[in-house]
Amino acid sequence: MKLQGLAKVIEGASGALPAATGAVIGVVGAAAITALYLLRLRRRRVVVAFAPLWLGAPGAERAARRTRRVRHWLSLALALGLFAAMLVGAVDVGLETGERGAIDQSGRSLRGGRSLVLLIDRSASMSATDEAGSRLAAGRQRGNEIVGSLTGADRALVASFAADVTAESGFESDPRRLARAIAGVGPSDEPGDLQRALAFAAAILRGRPRPTIVLVSDGGFTDDARRLAPVDADGRALDVRYAPVGRRADNIGILSLAARRIPADPGAVETALVVQSFRPAPSTVGVEISGGGLIVEKVTLTLAPGERRRLTLPNLFAPDTRIEARLTGVDDLAVDDDARATIPALPHRRILRVGGPDLYLDGALLGLGRTVHVERLPAADADRAAARARDFDLVVFDGVTPSVPPKEGRFLYFDPQGVGNPFAAAREARPVRDPVLDPASLHGDHPLLRQLDLTDVNIAEARRLALAPGDVALAASFDLPLIVARERPGLRIAALAFDPRRSDLPMRPAFPLLVANALAWAARDDAADATPGVDGGATVRDPRESDTKPVPTLALGGRTLTPPDPAPRHSRPRFGSWALMLAAALLLFDWLSYHRRWTT
Amino acid sequence: MTPAGDNAARADGAARADGRIGSRFDDRFLRKLESLALTIRRTTAGRSHGMRRSRRVGAGLEFADHRDYVPGDDLRHLDWNLYGRLERRALRLYEEDEDLSIDVLVDASLSMAMGQPPKLDLAFQIAAALAYVGLSNLDRVAVTALDAEAAGPPPGRGKARILPILRYLDALRPREGSPRTSLAAAVREFLSRRGGRRRGLVALVSDFYDPAGPRAALELIGRNRLEAIAVQISAPDELAPQLRGDLQLCDAETGETRELTISPRALADYTQRHAALLRELGGYCRERAIPCFTLSSDQPFDAVVLRMFRAGGLLG
Repeated sequence: MKLQGLAKVIEGASGALPAATGAVIGVVGAAAITALYLLRLRRRRVVVAFAPLWLGAPGAERAARRTRRVRHWLSLALALGLFAAMLVGAVDVGLETGERGAIDQSGRSLRGGRSLVLLIDRSASMSATDEAGSRLAAGRQRGNEIVGSLTGADRALVASFAADVTAESGFESDPRRLARAIAGVGPSDEPGDLQRALAFAAAILRGRPRPTIVLVSDGGFTDDARRLAPVDADGRALDVRYAPVGRRADNIGILSLAARRIPADPGAVETALVVQSFRPAPSTVGVEISGGGLIVEKVTLTLAPGERRRLTLPNLFAPDTRIEARLTGVDDLAVDDDARATIPALPHRRILRVGGPDLYLDGALLGLGRTVHVERLPAADADRAAARARDFDLVVFDGVTPSVPPKEGRFLYFDPQGVGNPFAAAREARPVRDPVLDPASLHGDHPLLRQLDLTDVNIAEARRLALAPGDVALAASFDLPLIVARERPGLRIAALAFDPRRSDLPMRPAFPLLVANALAWAARDDAADATPGVDGGATVRDPRESDTKPVPTLALGGRTLTPPDPAPRHSRPRFGSWALMLAAALLLFDWLSYHRRWTT
Repeated sequence: MTPAGDNAARADGAARADGRIGSRFDDRFLRKLESLALTIRRTTAGRSHGMRRSRRVGAGLEFADHRDYVPGDDLRHLDWNLYGRLERRALRLYEEDEDLSIDVLVDASLSMAMGQPPKLDLAFQIAAALAYVGLSNLDRVAVTALDAEAAGPPPGRGKARILPILRYLDALRPREGSPRTSLAAAVREFLSRRGGRRRGLVALVSDFYDPAGPRAALELIGRNRLEAIAVQISAPDELAPQLRGDLQLCDAETGETRELTISPRALADYTQRHAALLRELGGYCRERAIPCFTLSSDQPFDAVVLRMFRAGGLLG
């Protein structure tokens, strides 16, 4: 019992001093000090043989008596000043506690300090300059204000988050240390992971008194991120406050950039760019594409409010392995105004060409570059070639057809015929002479026909191919398929219903491109993104980070977050530390004056 | 052993047998006293025979002067030779042989009890030494304590008189509780008691801490046509006090208290005032050819007394 009582006394002693108690202590203490000084100090009595030798002239003695009286009162003033300074210091802490810690959100009267985690968003959007300096600078300022409003009993931890969370400090009550931790929060170009940050804060607050999370952010989070509110160990929702930063939405950003080499022209790249405007009004923005230190393309875009534009630049000169896109013009967020993409090198491919001499085809294969290895087999070995199809990225049957349609592999047939024709009709029909390619039938978006110009192609005759379910006629002459494609699991077959040598297609640029497209289509990874613009080598950003529209109110788990408590501490000067410093100075002066005999 | 030594030893033995000598004067002191007397006699040999001739005209053997006869004079002193030659009636005057009267005045005020060791101890020892040497020279010696409760033994001659003196000094205690009597006033009182019966020598052993100034007592002695010897004693902590801080100073004699902060400056002022007091005393004594000795109470008395006699002007 005694120990418990002692603990209570110690707890009470370590707590803040209420103002009323401070006033009582002040009056009593001042009265006691004054009484003690009026009673005078009891001096050591020393008997001397002849006192006049010590006292000197009577005039001097009177002057010394007056001086002594002045010193005596000065000493009293010093003691009262020291007492007052210490009391003000103690009471000031009490006032802070009373102002800040007296009432919680539900209006309950509280005692003791809070445990506060200050979460500062340092994601890419916080680099927007619509605030003085940046949103992050404004967030740091807001964080300093929050730290400055803490009471002496509060403990706070500063953490920053983007894609990950970093604790910038431990739980501290020293505002200067917390301010240093806040100053150490730097910008990031990563998206903000709110749930991860809240989970971190909830974990670190577990078991601490009066847990509170203060989120300093521009609020650009997904609905998923805002669906759950953090809870404590007992499943109760934590007290989360929101301090918004950001004033306006004035940004146009590059959301993605991708480039890839064109197999037919290794010095050129195909580039895809996605730009979005987050401005509330139509905007015009310039786009510069550069590679190898040279600007290789300039485009001007006019974007409607909120419009997302996908820009494809099919043939850009890019000798370097990197390509860069940059928006010209001024907006609030600079980090999304440029993007860089690494151009992936062309893969090494293997092609098995089966058939007789064909200079056109050999020329087209030669144009695929050194990354493509071509093996040749005579027409008689067509069946053997079909059996080796697994070892090649593409097997080209040039006017020959193996005896059995393949079950797996990747094939390009020129004029398939006979029983091994994978598109064999039930009944062999005569070839159609002079078919006319219908431009409306072209599937220009298919990888096989991308960037091909097949209009006005003259074909001497074409064989009628039968399409099975799932097959696609990419080009046709009315009901006569001219170019077909079949995709089955483990099987891809493209076929031209005509012999290219009996058309003017080999004389056109489309022919080598068609061969290159066939190789790319056949060798394409099924799991890869079908969108050619953002496959390998792409830079993709979270559009939320480019959307700098400020969010003044934020809801978590359906509950709107309240702002942090106002800081009444800043409504009046902070006397406490100054008073204590004054007390220390007075104590030092008192010690010095006493030992130098200036006082008493 | 000399007769004087025998006397001292006898006195010492009697005293010890009677238990009449207290803590101040033990065997060692008495032996030192005897040894001191011998040393002084050898030191001053040829200068004095231990007796002084007074200027009084009386029944001595040495012719001094003539004076006219007046009726009633003793005709036995009439100088008949002069009458026969000049028919003038004149009396022959002779210098009277008279022993020296030595008064040793010891300031026994409360201020003399101060110090470590107390100044009074050295003062009593010096007084005893002076008295013993005087008695050894067959002078009439009286020891008087100023400002003390008990009166001293009557003047006497011969070494045997040392014992009453020692007992008197041993029993002396400063008079406490009484208001301060200045040194000059105490000397005035002594002189009035002594009367002008004879001239002599007065040795004043004191600290000379007198509100009237250090010279006032000596001036009184000189005004009564007495030779004076000044022995000033200070305690070591009066010469170089070690006091510091806030103190309540209490005057040993008056009991008056004063609050004082002893700073280095105040200490320097005190030292300066004390030195000025000693300078004033020394200056006055030099002007009047008064032997003056300034002593510290921690000095051994025999060395002090020997130095005093070697300096001359004492008892010789």
